[in-house]
Amino acid sequence: MFGLSFLAPLFLAGAVAAAIPILLHLFHRRAEPVVDFAAMRYLRQAPVEQSRRRRVREFVLLALRVAALALMAFAFARPYFASASSALADGATVVLVDTSASLTAPGQFEQVRTRAADVIRRVPVTQAVAVLSFAHTADLVSPLAADHSLALAALSQLQPGGGATSYAAALRRAGEELAGRPGRIVVVTDLQESGWATGMTDGALPDNVTVDVEPVVMPSGNLALTSLRIEGGEAIAGLSNYSADAATAQVVFAAGERRLGAVPLTVPPQGSADARLAVAGIVLGPLSGPLSGPLSGPLSATIADARGYAADNVRYAVADGDGGIFVLAVSASGNPADSLYLERALTIAGGAGGFQFRSIAAAALSSLDDRTFGGVDVVAILGSRGLDQRGRQRLAQFVEAGGGMLVAAGPDVEPDMLTQSPAKVVKTGWQVRDAVATNFAPDDSRHPVFRLFGGAGTLSNVTFSRSALLKAGAEGTVIARYTDGTPAVIEERTGKGRVLLLASDLNYRWNDFPLQPSFVPFVHETVRYLAASRAARTEYLVGELPGHGTSTGVVMIGTRQVAINIDPRESDPGVITTDAFRDSVARIQTLTVQEAGVADQQREDGQGLWRYGLLLMLLTLVGEGLIGRRPG
Amino acid sequence: MTVGERRGASELRFLDPAILSRLGTLELKARTVVEGFLTGLHRSPFKGFSVEFAEYRQYLPGDPLQTIDWKVYARSDRLYVKKFEEETNVECHLLLDVSGSMSYGSHAVTKLRYGSMLAASLAYLMNRQRDAVGLTTFDERIVSMTPPSARPSHLRSILVALDSIAGGSKTNVTRPLQQLAEGIGKRGIVVLISDLLDEPERIIDGLRHFRFRGSDVIVFHLLDPAELTFPFERATRFRDMELGDEVMAVPSVVRERYLESLNAAIERYKRELGSCGIDYSLVDTSTPLDFALMSYLSTRGRAR
Repeated sequence: MFGLSFLAPLFLAGAVAAAIPILLHLFHRRAEPVVDFAAMRYLRQAPVEQSRRRRVREFVLLALRVAALALMAFAFARPYFASASSALADGATVVLVDTSASLTAPGQFEQVRTRAADVIRRVPVTQAVAVLSFAHTADLVSPLAADHSLALAALSQLQPGGGATSYAAALRRAGEELAGRPGRIVVVTDLQESGWATGMTDGALPDNVTVDVEPVVMPSGNLALTSLRIEGGEAIAGLSNYSADAATAQVVFAAGERRLGAVPLTVPPQGSADARLAVAGIVLGPLSGPLSGPLSGPLSATIADARGYAADNVRYAVADGDGGIFVLAVSASGNPADSLYLERALTIAGGAGGFQFRSIAAAALSSLDDRTFGGVDVVAILGSRGLDQRGRQRLAQFVEAGGGMLVAAGPDVEPDMLTQSPAKVVKTGWQVRDAVATNFAPDDSRHPVFRLFGGAGTLSNVTFSRSALLKAGAEGTVIARYTDGTPAVIEERTGKGRVLLLASDLNYRWNDFPLQPSFVPFVHETVRYLAASRAARTEYLVGELPGHGTSTGVVMIGTRQVAINIDPRESDPGVITTDAFRDSVARIQTLTVQEAGVADQQREDGQGLWRYGLLLMLLTLVGEGLIGRRPG
Repeated sequence: MTVGERRGASELRFLDPAILSRLGTLELKARTVVEGFLTGLHRSPFKGFSVEFAEYRQYLPGDPLQTIDWKVYARSDRLYVKKFEEETNVECHLLLDVSGSMSYGSHAVTKLRYGSMLAASLAYLMNRQRDAVGLTTFDERIVSMTPPSARPSHLRSILVALDSIAGGSKTNVTRPLQQLAEGIGKRGIVVLISDLLDEPERIIDGLRHFRFRGSDVIVFHLLDPAELTFPFERATRFRDMELGDEVMAVPSVVRERYLESLNAAIERYKRELGSCGIDYSLVDTSTPLDFALMSYLSTRGRAR
């Protein structure tokens, strides 16, 4: 009644205890002796109970005691409202409309709409109808309502997206919409087999819900782009042919809106093949300088498949350079000589798994385009002269978002430029001190930067003629010191990023470090360590990034570009039979008894009606106590 | 002296009402009470109230001066006093409350039975003194009425009427008292025997009527010892003997308030009846009847 359910209905049997005060009232109400008395005139002036008032009071007390016991049983039974709309008496029908990528074949979704509309029209007018669209998740597009025209109107607005089919999620959501009342779920779908591949145990359907399927015809075959990657200067697109005949297609590669080339390809029946296009040397984006590494930026591959799914005819990728970690050296002039030793150290390990390097003047940092800066993993500050406010803000945001920064506190880096608010790039301050000959003495030999050296090792051969005196504070951790005990390297954590502050320069001016054999590995380990927090996926499937809907393409996440593609499994047009679908639903039903209990418990926990029950019981007992103590 | 103290002092001399109630007829009870009572008096000051002349005798010191015959003294220069035959010159009206509340009794004697014995004893005493005595029983109305008469045989009529009394209904003293006050033409003595469980105001007003008409009034307020002390212990439903309704009370809780109300009523009766010249006697139905008789004779002496 009123959608009220109980988590532990057995406790309702405790309401039988309410009979105790009733029985006591009926059989023990004459416990006191009855004495005839004459001087009642004087007795009535004392605090006594008049019989009539006493009878009324006894009934009130009885009612309160019964209510207290009933409320206690009610509270212990853990009541909850299954749904405010559960009062609909004549059952309900939930129409689940498949809007996954496998419904994007020509004319396919029109079939879906027609079938779903027929289902809605066949529902008796006394029954409520809801419409949910589903792919990897299910969304309510028309809530349960007796007005079927609302459902039909909502149906006409639906479009297929790039999501992968998940029947379990859809059925579970439909079950929640029914909220425990008996009903019928009609799934309008292509019965794609891969729809049961994920979330098999995620469904929750009570036994009083029937599931019907309105199947939609699948295309006879499908040619799909299932992958796009860049390897060794080639853009490689993977194609799969889900048909009995060989398929020929032309794969068109593009960087943004710029066509890079087209590769014709024949894919054997039920087979796959790769289309390859050389992209080495192709400059993407508006970088003004020469690109010393491989391709970076968004890339797409498209085919024209007239009979298959439209959603898998395009695939996106974001070329992250593939040559490795992109280090941007910021120096006072941007002259290569300012960062010569760093560049040499990094380019030794160029290419796949290595480093990209680019040098830029501090003054030009603020004008560097977003796409280029978005691909930077580590910024090495070798000089700060000319660094403007916007450049400093950019650096601060870069570190906050997970970028790595190496600050060489040499003669060209002014501490105030980096430590001043509001764009506080570095928290630790420093000052240049007088000439003093010192050596490295790593403070924490287990630190990833120094682990390779096994403690001081060859680092102790480095001689520092001048250095900066770092003012170590709570913000930074000293990971290396000079032999005189002053900090040599301090690590700071800001947001998701890391900053390493070296108390000297990296350009052979205050030390002989670039001439030492330990310099190259030190630079490599330092850059890899700083770039570790920057490492991230560049490709996601539809649904994996919240807030990006069901469309595919290249989107920005913070300062990074990532590609969103459809799940390759969605390209497989393999289907299951209606019976197999029902069997899968039945399997879910057996799995969901316990899960339904968990859902009920969560609902009950959220509503907490038992607290009100106990509170009412306490109030009832307080009332009973007050009335019981009061003379009649 | 409290009722309890009086009872303790008299229990060796007088018959306990419980024992008395087990005696045979009401006449025997009355005779037992009155004769025993009179035997206990050393000197009867109540003899010789008649107007019938009996003899002269020489004055002796201590004789009342009003009994000296001054005409004989004028003729003979000697003091003689007149002796008279006993003859009634007072009408006594016994008013006995027979309402439902009078049927209450926590021991062997109910208030009604005690009142009957008291009325019988008074009637016997009055008849023995040749006073005209009549009996009226009432509850909310007059139940029976025996007109006053001094004939010895009249006593039997009164005793028969007392023997036939059954418990009545509600107490309403006012109306019967008004009717009686209007019916009594001659000055006399009105004896009211009742538990006075009615509005004190109405009872006092009713009794004032008798006083206005010149009658002496004596009120015997009968209360059972349980009514005087409220000795109940456990929670009890008390049922009104007249109305039948019940009240639930815990005696330990209500006792103090009950006794306060009762004593306040008693004090009010004493105060307001005394101010009207009406004798008020609180009678514990567990005490001998003699005290009630004494109260009557005291009033009777004033009525000469």
